Amino acid sequence: MPVWRLTLSQWRYQKLNGVIKMVHYIGVILDESRYEQIKGTEIEEKVQSIFGGALKMLVVEVPEDKSNQILKAFDRARIDSRGFIEDVPVAFRRAVFEEIVKNKSLDIVDKVLERLSEIQELAKKEDEYIPPPEIE
Amino acid sequence: MAKLNIPPPHGGELVNRVIEKRDYAESMAAGAIEFDLKPTTLPDGTPIRHVYREIMSVCYGFFSPVEGSMTSTDLEGVLKERRLESGWVFPYPILLDVSEEDIKSTGVKEGDRLLLKLKGQPFAVMDVEEIYKINPEEVATRTFGTPEDNPEVVREPFNEKHPGYMIYKLMNDHVIAGKWTIVNPPKFREPYDRFWLPPAECRTVIKYVKKWRTCIAHQTRNVPHTGHEALMKNAAYTGDIEPCHGILVNAIIGAKRRGDYPNEAILEGHEAVNKYGYIKPSRHMVTFTLWDMRYGNPIESLLHGVIRQNMGCTHHMFGRDHAAVGEYYDKYATQILWSEGIPSFGFEAPPNEVDKGLKIIPQNMAEFWYCPVCGEIAYSESCGHVDQKQKFSGSFLRGMVAEGVMPPKVVMRPEVYKAIVKWWKVFNYPFVNKKYLENLNASLEVDLEPMEVPKA
Repeated sequence: MPVWRLTLSQWRYQKLNGVIKMVHYIGVILDESRYEQIKGTEIEEKVQSIFGGALKMLVVEVPEDKSNQILKAFDRARIDSRGFIEDVPVAFRRAVFEEIVKNKSLDIVDKVLERLSEIQELAKKEDEYIPPPEIE
Repeated sequence: MAKLNIPPPHGGELVNRVIEKRDYAESMAAGAIEFDLKPTTLPDGTPIRHVYREIMSVCYGFFSPVEGSMTSTDLEGVLKERRLESGWVFPYPILLDVSEEDIKSTGVKEGDRLLLKLKGQPFAVMDVEEIYKINPEEVATRTFGTPEDNPEVVREPFNEKHPGYMIYKLMNDHVIAGKWTIVNPPKFREPYDRFWLPPAECRTVIKYVKKWRTCIAHQTRNVPHTGHEALMKNAAYTGDIEPCHGILVNAIIGAKRRGDYPNEAILEGHEAVNKYGYIKPSRHMVTFTLWDMRYGNPIESLLHGVIRQNMGCTHHMFGRDHAAVGEYYDKYATQILWSEGIPSFGFEAPPNEVDKGLKIIPQNMAEFWYCPVCGEIAYSESCGHVDQKQKFSGSFLRGMVAEGVMPPKVVMRPEVYKAIVKWWKVFNYPFVNKKYLENLNASLEVDLEPMEVPKA
């Protein structure tokens, strides 16, 4: 069972007993345009459907030492109750997706970390302005 | 089981320290020493608290029986065992903190009357009972606890990443204690004016307009996703011989941590839940309390109990990680407090079972998640498909919102999302950021009419 599906007590038990090595996750939401970009590639098979098929998502595994690097790089980033790294800048999520498309793989954490300084620069601009979506 | 009724206010009587009549107000303010209220700020200048919100909440009775800035005896009682000098339970220090320079420049001393000014206008008066020194860092540490002193629930030492801890740590080191009286009642701006319902009026509305005999409170600092909605609907099945008649949503409005939703979106997001019939308006009402959230999990839950009992609620729902940020407290600290007590915080028993405690009844709830097997939002203690659960996560939703993806309606109602986008367009940002906090501090939630105060 993936760690993010464990109950809190199961997680505590396994962590205390060294059964699990800590792994965190980055969830990449796929809207239509993103889905088109991975359609037909081997990544498509890894797409998870959640909330009764209402959302499609790719889940990238992040070993603990690398998730610590991410948490350090972005002051509001945190691990949520599911074990996912959240509250990261939009620029970071975009970079994760770009690397997935480029490498046709979910094993892209190192590639993203190589771009950290560039992402941090973009993230600074996000503190002031994020364009609102056009909805009716 | 006997039928329940609206509980009495905490402390027995609702505090009401607001003077509406202008001539009485002017005579109270005449000759008082003027003092401009100031925000508490982070070292980079970001405002994180404005004491005016505490003055409003005290004077309109949300924090009954507290009547003003605490004396040193009250403060010590609160820090030691969460009790006022009178013995009534109260969780947080409520303080008008000032600098030594403020004391010198005003020349204020015990026995004087202060005229507290807000946005350049007279706002409230206080009769100074005591002026004393504090060590803000010690107040901050004792307010929230430590792993050593409060091992039942505190997991990590509080530090500069905790917004509530910083509010106390960054206070000035002098306190002026005394009762507050508002002499120039502020007017709330849109959209706050639609949701402002102080305890006395709220009790009247609950009893005579809504005709709710029982009412369960829902604490919020968030726009609601369907997990919150499920919590509200299911927790409301508690009651006495029938489910609770009403659900009172009470949002905490004030400076929040960066990354939370703006106050305006929170209020209108919750309003959308009843406006569009997800919970019908005859059973659901949205209100707010002014308070710069301290994110104190079990300690904050006590304040929530005080506020909502004063507003007339019979029950209060408490979920996992109640009013929490980070991993400082056990995820179930609030539920531990309300089910067995936390002796190191002064509770050998739950707060509603101790002398001079609360009368509001806790409803401790576990989690809601989406179960793809059940094909619905399920309660964690009922649903057997634990391996398939898909948990709601506020931060996951925030990420989706920031990326401009409209959350599916199974996760967030479209009308709630529209409330987020409406205010996103106003602030050019979907969440609280430094600019939002600076603007909020400059404009506050209120305006004050000009008031001429006769000189002594």
